[in-house]
Amino acid sequence: MKRFLYLICILTVAMACKEVFEPPPQALLQATFYNSSTKLAMSSLVLAQGVGIDSPVFRDSVRFNMLFPLTIKDTTRYIIWLDSKSDSITFIHETKQKYASMETGFYYEYKLRSVRFTKNRIDSIKIVDSLITTKWNENIKLYIKP
Amino acid sequence: MKILSFILSLSLLTAICYGQPEQKKKYKPKRTDNYIHMGGIRFGMDVTRPFQNYWTKGNRYGTEFSADMELWPNLYPVFETGYDVMKIKTDYVDYAGNGSYSRVGIDYNFLQAQTKKDKDIFYMGLRYGFTLARQQVNQYKIDSYWGAITGDFGNQSYFAHWAEFVLGIKGEIFHNFYMGWTIRGKFKLNNKDLKMPPIYFIPGYGKGEKGFNLDFTYSVYYNIPWDFRKSVGVSKKVVAKQVKVK
Repeated sequence: MKRFLYLICILTVAMACKEVFEPPPQALLQATFYNSSTKLAMSSLVLAQGVGIDSPVFRDSVRFNMLFPLTIKDTTRYIIWLDSKSDSITFIHETKQKYASMETGFYYEYKLRSVRFTKNRIDSIKIVDSLITTKWNENIKLYIKP
Repeated sequence: MKILSFILSLSLLTAICYGQPEQKKKYKPKRTDNYIHMGGIRFGMDVTRPFQNYWTKGNRYGTEFSADMELWPNLYPVFETGYDVMKIKTDYVDYAGNGSYSRVGIDYNFLQAQTKKDKDIFYMGLRYGFTLARQQVNQYKIDSYWGAITGDFGNQSYFAHWAEFVLGIKGEIFHNFYMGWTIRGKFKLNNKDLKMPPIYFIPGYGKGEKGFNLDFTYSVYYNIPWDFRKSVGVSKKVVAKQVKVK
């Protein structure tokens, strides 16, 4: 009888627990840094900020890669400082709304069409995977001048 | 030589087959309770439907009523109908779905009655369920570095249907009063593709994303002790007598 009462208590507590709902996933564009002359992966002191946004995505951190959040419009523009030299990058993409679940919500996925950029520190950019999904993987190779 | 060996092996096989003892025929005793146990119609109410939010994600509640009668010995045609509501309100989604549903089917009682008064049943049954429902995402929110995005999806109406396999008991606790539980395995047959957002909730079935749902119900019943067979029989006799008198 005692065990049965314990079971009832546990079940009541479990039922009374507040449900936890996860936030929706995010699809982010991943850029990996490469040395333009050796073609090997390299790190760089990075600061990146979206055009029209007050706060940066990354503030002075040494990184091998970066994850860029994209807008729901067709273009997303960033100013990026690589070892204190600034460049602008514009991503041209298609945006598609996706459904995760009704508990979690909705998110956006993207298809990268092209990338425009200035060449102060950036040498070239190569699109490796144009689909930007919630499974983050390398989307572009960003070749930096040594 | 080949023909000889073939004939030899064939005759050996035949001998083995004949040598096997004849399998005993399974004797299945006939039911001794091939009579109507419960006269009249039994009406029921599912007491678990208003409290579904305790074991499902989101705020789900509803009501369900049923009616069944023993039309043939141990066979109970069933009609069930109800109304189901599902609401989810999180930081990211405000969803509401609701609709009325119905099920028709039949139960077969496996429990052999010992006496005429014994009305308890252990049954298996099948159901066909259908619903006309609607859903609406009143608001959704997507957090982003570029600022939070909000939006909504208007009212979506849809039809869905499913099949159920049920297993349960109904026991008479007082005269004409019954209680019982049912385990239900529900298989989705089809539903309309709404694209965005897809059907999340099917009243009477559960989550629309799943092809199979398991459910548990507990109901209370009252059997209206009106034996329609007797009344039909009596009226026929009365009519026959009147004809004879004339």
